[in-house]
Order: sequence, then structure tokens, then C-alpha cells
Amino acid sequence: MTRVRAAAMPAPDNVPRLAGDELVRVENLVKYFPVRGDGLFARTVAEVRAVDGVTLTLRRGQTLGLVGETGCGKSTLARCIAGLIPATSGQVIFEGRDIANLPRRAMRPYRRQIQMIFQDPYGSLNPRRRVGAIIGEPYIVHKTATGAQRKRAVQDLMDRVGLNPEHYNRFPSEFSGGQRQRIGVARALALRPKLIICDEPVSALDVSIQAQILNLLADLQQEFGLSYLFIAHDLEVVRHVSDQVMVMYLGRVAETGSARQVFGSPRHPYTTALLSAAPAADPDAAAARQRIILTGDVPSPIAPPAGCRFHPRCPSARERCGQEEPALENKPGDPGEEGQPKPGTTVHLTACHFPVQPGGVPGRGDAREPQ
Amino acid sequence: MSTAMEFQARAVEAAPVEAVEGHSQWWLTWRRLRHDKVAIASLIVILVITGLAIAAPAFAALTGHGPAEQFPNTGISATGAPAGPSATFWLGADELGRDLFVRILYGARISLFVGVVTTAIATVAGVAIGMVSGYYGGWTDMLLARSIDTALAFPYLVLTLALVARFGPSLLMVMIVITFFTWSGIARVVRGQMLSIKEKEYIEAARSIGTSPWRIMRVDILPNLLGPVLVLATLAIPGAIVAEATLSFLGLGIQPPTPSWGNLLAGAQNYYAEAWWYLVFPALALLITTLAFNLLGDGIRDAMDPRTERLFAGAERARLRGRARGRAGAATAAEAGAPLSSTGGEQAGPRKEGRDLP
Repeated sequence: MTRVRAAAMPAPDNVPRLAGDELVRVENLVKYFPVRGDGLFARTVAEVRAVDGVTLTLRRGQTLGLVGETGCGKSTLARCIAGLIPATSGQVIFEGRDIANLPRRAMRPYRRQIQMIFQDPYGSLNPRRRVGAIIGEPYIVHKTATGAQRKRAVQDLMDRVGLNPEHYNRFPSEFSGGQRQRIGVARALALRPKLIICDEPVSALDVSIQAQILNLLADLQQEFGLSYLFIAHDLEVVRHVSDQVMVMYLGRVAETGSARQVFGSPRHPYTTALLSAAPAADPDAAAARQRIILTGDVPSPIAPPAGCRFHPRCPSARERCGQEEPALENKPGDPGEEGQPKPGTTVHLTACHFPVQPGGVPGRGDAREPQ
Repeated sequence: MSTAMEFQARAVEAAPVEAVEGHSQWWLTWRRLRHDKVAIASLIVILVITGLAIAAPAFAALTGHGPAEQFPNTGISATGAPAGPSATFWLGADELGRDLFVRILYGARISLFVGVVTTAIATVAGVAIGMVSGYYGGWTDMLLARSIDTALAFPYLVLTLALVARFGPSLLMVMIVITFFTWSGIARVVRGQMLSIKEKEYIEAARSIGTSPWRIMRVDILPNLLGPVLVLATLAIPGAIVAEATLSFLGLGIQPPTPSWGNLLAGAQNYYAEAWWYLVFPALALLITTLAFNLLGDGIRDAMDPRTERLFAGAERARLRGRARGRAGAATAAEAGAPLSSTGGEQAGPRKEGRDLP
């Protein structure tokens, strides 16, 4: 229904048209946070480049996994897309309209389409409100259900996410972490959104509970045709849930592609380092693989390194890496991806001058994987 | 024994039913406050004083003494001294033969009225200004935070003197001055709380739903602020009562013959040597009232936050432990004998006991 409305609305000239199965496209999104000096009329003395030119596409019914270290701009990107913080520049195209920096009132209809699930199941629920009120709040704000109708809708939701509807009048403090996260899921689901941004939804939970929540999210995706932007730093979780994966480093995209492409044949040295750092469940596999240990810390996003942002820590950095910033492009290597990719298929993109070749050896950029 | 078992069985039975209906923070606070004997006693004292203040005209009728009525025949002795406490003048009389008890009750009306009304206005203003300042930040915050600082930095007596010199003393003037000096403290605390609550993830969650800032402040933030605000307000009331008494004492507030605790104390200055009741009873009324409000405020604060209660309990335990250790130390010292007792004074308690025993 909304799709019809979007099609009827004349698309402004500067907004790229989305392909049929694309739900969101983020174009060159930039978010700088000003750093102010001391004093009453402080001037901006520097900028934290939290997100520095990110482009991504999210298709209907799919999950895009977003990985990266703490402070690489994952959450900032998510909040820009959700319209919680204004973007410095760039576009967030949703249903044919650029929703980055929309005024609050104009943003309201899009809030119903884009919801968030937060990391901290304790901090994201108001301790003074009863669960029924927390889950029912979206209905009140958007005036979609009132009175007994709302209570029924909330209890249906509670039942759907695996909570006892009789606990309608309880407070968040009377629930466990996993149950609280279910409350957060129910709240995000209340408006029947198309996109749910999950900001590390399971990283605060026990492993056994993590699986339950992930399965719940997968079931809901099936049932409601949801798209997820799934942020996590647990690579196994991302591999499990994602159709596409995007790896971020210092506000920029290092590598993006399908989950199979990124995890199966990573091309960016940073991705390989991340993958090698993740603990493996199988001890033999863990012993067999090569661990890449990065030296140094993530550089300050106030003054990111020139050239490739990863080059000071990159095990295969060369002179060119410190001078020239690599573009995010399709580096040959994977089978069947030569030449122009077919529209609708996932392209494996890497921002690296010397992408890693299969087998974990950094290549020269001209080598091909033997097929 | 069997009753204990029965009780346990009943408790187990009742528990799940009770658990489904969650307890609000207020209910939990009241449950803790109920067991705080000092706070409950203070609450009762406040209610009694309020009752007496409301019933002041009834007591005036009962004793037959109006609050400003002078009784030269019964209230003053032949030598001109005020009459002491008696069946006719329950708490004695003043230098003009007025009934001190009735005047203290009428003074309580003024004190409580000024205390509660100024605190209520100051709290509403302080919460509103503090919330807006903390939530919006930026220029709004700069402007409001500076005005809070300005209000806090104002020398209150000087301002009052200037205002009274210009407009003359009155009840309204007293209330305006006290309100002006109360709101800023509350606003500052509320602003600070706001800054911390604003960063909570549930505020972000509310924004992501599309909740308006006004509704976020009302529904998500205000209930979290009410606890500290209630404590602040309870503690601001005695401050306002004392401020009113001070201004009236200095002749800047309520003017005689209208009685107020402050001007009663001022009147007592010249007579308390002969008529102790003239000074003692108004002072006691002021002391008991302010103390009760302060203790109630402390009690509410402890009940709001179970952690402070535990902290306090921990301090209490440490104090008791310390005392026990001190006693043990004294005992060993006594066993060691000579050095300590030789330096001790003749009048020391334990030695006296020792001397009594053969």
C-alpha cells in the first residue's frame, strides 16, 4: 500500500530512483561531530569524522550485517538512517524520498517505517513505565489504536515475541535481560515497520539467550517481510543472520558484499584480521588458521591517516597506501564476477590497493584466483 | 511454630498473583518509608501542626482569646508583667496581654502557608525551567542556566531590604522574595538530572518512535525526576518557613499585630528575662516544624533510593563495630592497669565505681 503511495509521489530530480527490491539506499553519508573549544562563544576547533562517506543499499526482506570495531561509526550511521541525529551531508533514500535531515514533523510517517532495537536491554526501557505502556507507546504517538484495542494489540505483540501477555502491568525491572530485549523487539514491531535497525541487539545477552533472540528476529523477518540493518561486532552472529555484510573502519567502508563473499573470501586485510581474531568453535580449525595480530590502536577519527585509513596498521601496506585513498570497487578475484555485474546481484567491493588473495596472502591486485 | 508455617504457606500461595501486577516505584518507596520510624513520626508531627493551624479559629473561640485581642486585666499582672502559662493562658501571655498560644497557632497558618505555597510555585517554576534548559541545550540552556546562576548569586537580604524600602513590607513581598530564592536551587538540580536522563537509551527509543519532545519530557522524563524533586521540595519548605520567620523577625515581613513566628520572637527580645515562655514557645514551634520537615525529607530520600539506605545501614554497623572495638580496647587497657589509670582523673566514672567496691 505504501509502495503505491511512494510511486504516486513525484520523485524529486536529485533523488536517485530505487530499483524494485531496494528499500533503502544511503548515498555518500557523512556525519562529523564538532569539537568545541572552551569558553562561552566557543568555536569549532576540530571535527570527529564518525561517518565519512558511506554508501549502502538494503533490499527488501534482507539483512545487512554491519561489522567493525568500537568507534568505527556503526552506531552513528544507524542513528543517521533512523533520523535520530542529523547527517552532515549525503542522502538516505527511503521509498523514493531523501529522509536525511527531514524536520521532525515531516519525518513522522517514516518513523513508522523505520524502527530500532537497542543494545542495552536495561537502558532502553524506561524503568518507571509498565511494559504495557512501553510497548503501547507507538500506538499512542501515532494514534493507531486506543483503549481496549491498544491493550489487545500490545498483548498480541507480547505473545508473538514470546512474553506472557499477563505480564502487561509489570515493570521492566521484573524481567530478565532476554525478556527485556523481547520487550524492545515488541516495541519496534508495534508500528509494523519495513526496516528495523538492530544496534547490537544481542551483545549484552548470554549466548543461549542470544540464539533465542536471533531466532525470534529471523521468524519475524519471515512473517512480516522485514529488512534488518544488523549491527554487531560478533562475526559469527553476523555471518549467521546476514544476507549482505559491510565492514567499516574509521568511518569508511572497507569491504562489502554477500555474507558468503566477505566471510568466504575476504579481500580487505582488515577483514581478514577481524576474521582471524574471532574465536573459532572448532579447535582444529583454530589451530590450522593463521592469526593476524594488528599492532597499534585505531587512529583518532579527528585526524584520520592520509591515504588508506587502515595503512598504519595494515600488515601489507606499501608506499602507495599512505598517499592515495583506495576507492571502493570490485576487485577481481571471485569467480563469475568479471566485467559488469548483473543488476540485482551483490557485488563484492573492497577499498584496498592490494587486496588479499584467497589463501590469506595479500596480492598485487592483478592476480586472479585459479578456478 | 505452626503459625509461622501457615504464614509461609500463605505467602507462597499469594506470591505469584501479586507478582503479575508490578509494583510502582511510589508503592515501593511508601513501603520502605512506612518502616522509617523517624520519618513517620515527623509526618505525624506535620499533620498535627497543620491540623492545629487549620483549627486556630476554633481554639480562639475555645479560649475566648482572639489572636490580636489584648487582655489588660487577666493577661498582665498588677506590676505590668505578662501572665505565665495557666488554665486561661495555656502558653502564657505577651507584654500586651495577648494569648501566646492563639498567636502561635495563627503564626503557624502564616508559616505553613508561606512555606507550602512558595515552595509549590518555586518547584513548578524550577522544574519547568530546569527541564527545558537541560533538554534543549544550546542557546536555550546557556540563557536559562545563566539566569539560574544569577538568581543563586543574588544577596537575598539586600534585595529584600531594597524591595521593602521601595514597596513596604507585606505578606506578598515575603512570598515573592522567598519564591525567587527557592526556584533557582530546584532548577539547577533538575537541569543536572535532565542532562543525565537525556542520555539514556530509552529517550532515544522514544525519539525513534516519533514521540514529540513535549511528550518525552512529560511521560518519559518527569516521572524519573519526581523523586528527587519531592525530596527537594520537602526540604525547601522548612527553608521557606525559616526565611519568612527571619524576614518577620527583622521587621521586613509580617507586620504586628498580625502574629507570625518571626515577629513573636522579635517581640520576645525585650521580655524573655521575665517571661521565658514568650521566647521558648514560638522558638519551639519553629524548631519542631522545620525539624519535622527536614527529617521527613531525609526519610523520603532514603526510601526513594534503597542504596542510600544500605549505605546508611553500613555506616551504622561500622559505628557499632567501632564502639564494640573501643570497648574491647578499653577493657584490655584496664587489664594492663597502671599506666592508664595513673594518668586518668580522679573523677573518671569507672574509677569511682572501683572505689565503691571494696
